[in-house]
Amino acid sequence: MKILDSKAGALTNFEVLDLLRSRGAGTDPTRVIASVSPSEFKVFDYLENSAACNQTREIIQKFVDACKKFDLAKAEILNIINTRPSSGVEVYQIIEDCDIRMEEDTIHELVETINQILPSHQLTNETADENNEIEETAEENNEMTS
Amino acid sequence: MFFLSEIEHTLRLPPYLLNRPLNEAIKGELDSTFLDKVIEKLGLCITVYDIQSIEGGFIFPGDGASTYTVMFRLVMFRPYEGEIISARLQESTKDGLRLSLGFFDDIYVPVPLLASPVHSEPDPRLKDSVTWIWEYDGQNYPIDGADEIRFRVHNVSYPPIPLEQEEEASDKKAVKPFAPMVITGSLDGDGLGPVSWWV
Repeated sequence: MKILDSKAGALTNFEVLDLLRSRGAGTDPTRVIASVSPSEFKVFDYLENSAACNQTREIIQKFVDACKKFDLAKAEILNIINTRPSSGVEVYQIIEDCDIRMEEDTIHELVETINQILPSHQLTNETADENNEIEETAEENNEMTS
Repeated sequence: MFFLSEIEHTLRLPPYLLNRPLNEAIKGELDSTFLDKVIEKLGLCITVYDIQSIEGGFIFPGDGASTYTVMFRLVMFRPYEGEIISARLQESTKDGLRLSLGFFDDIYVPVPLLASPVHSEPDPRLKDSVTWIWEYDGQNYPIDGADEIRFRVHNVSYPPIPLEQEEEASDKKAVKPFAPMVITGSLDGDGLGPVSWWV
């Protein structure tokens, strides 16, 4: 066995998830038929539960374009796409020498960009749905009373 | 987390696979040889990305099987130092934490790399298990298995394969199976640790 190129390309979690999906991995019922091995399924389960489950190619392309003005390293953009930080504290960990390279305003702008372009992950999704439901029922109540 | 690696491998195709179409047979052989195995310096092989070329098909004298030289790309799981990953707590002992990604279990966070200051409390339910609690601003934050834990990759090591099995007859604990790839993580930093601490 000869290693020709150990770093032929970096993949985002979404790309690996897409690859497994195209092989036929799905959630629960299809497990028996798909030509995907059990170990690949474990990876699929992990990725489905991470921030990658709601992403698409267009979203990722859009995000990479929006990040050009922040002067981030490729690895940092990859890490952000994979973990989808939703606050300044989390972004601070990902970016090396964050306090030297970026000021507070820039960090805030980056968090805004992330929140707008990248779809949120399960935990925040549930609370967002609940908030939407509460707002909708409040609106209905208001309409009925007025 | 995931990288593509290009590999060239001399693959021996056993005769009982001769009735299958070549691509399928080669993919099956590659899967059984590489999938879920750790290659040193490259990481854990997740899946075969694509097969770029198949050459050869020679039959060596005295052998019934044909040998092919295959060039293909594998998706490898190889976190780099400084990457932030979310994982679940698998066990918590006096030496530190052990986290799991579902497909990869050997992620250790030793005590010096836990968020500081921290103290431990023995867990009443499980023997040998210890709950780690972080003290910040007068409040106690325990690390329990409720939600995902974010950690930073501190180090990825590939310990050499042991030549002899250690005999631990005196110890009642079972000998841990050999882990070819070990990730050391760190929870020391803002934004790291259970997600609920920072949301």
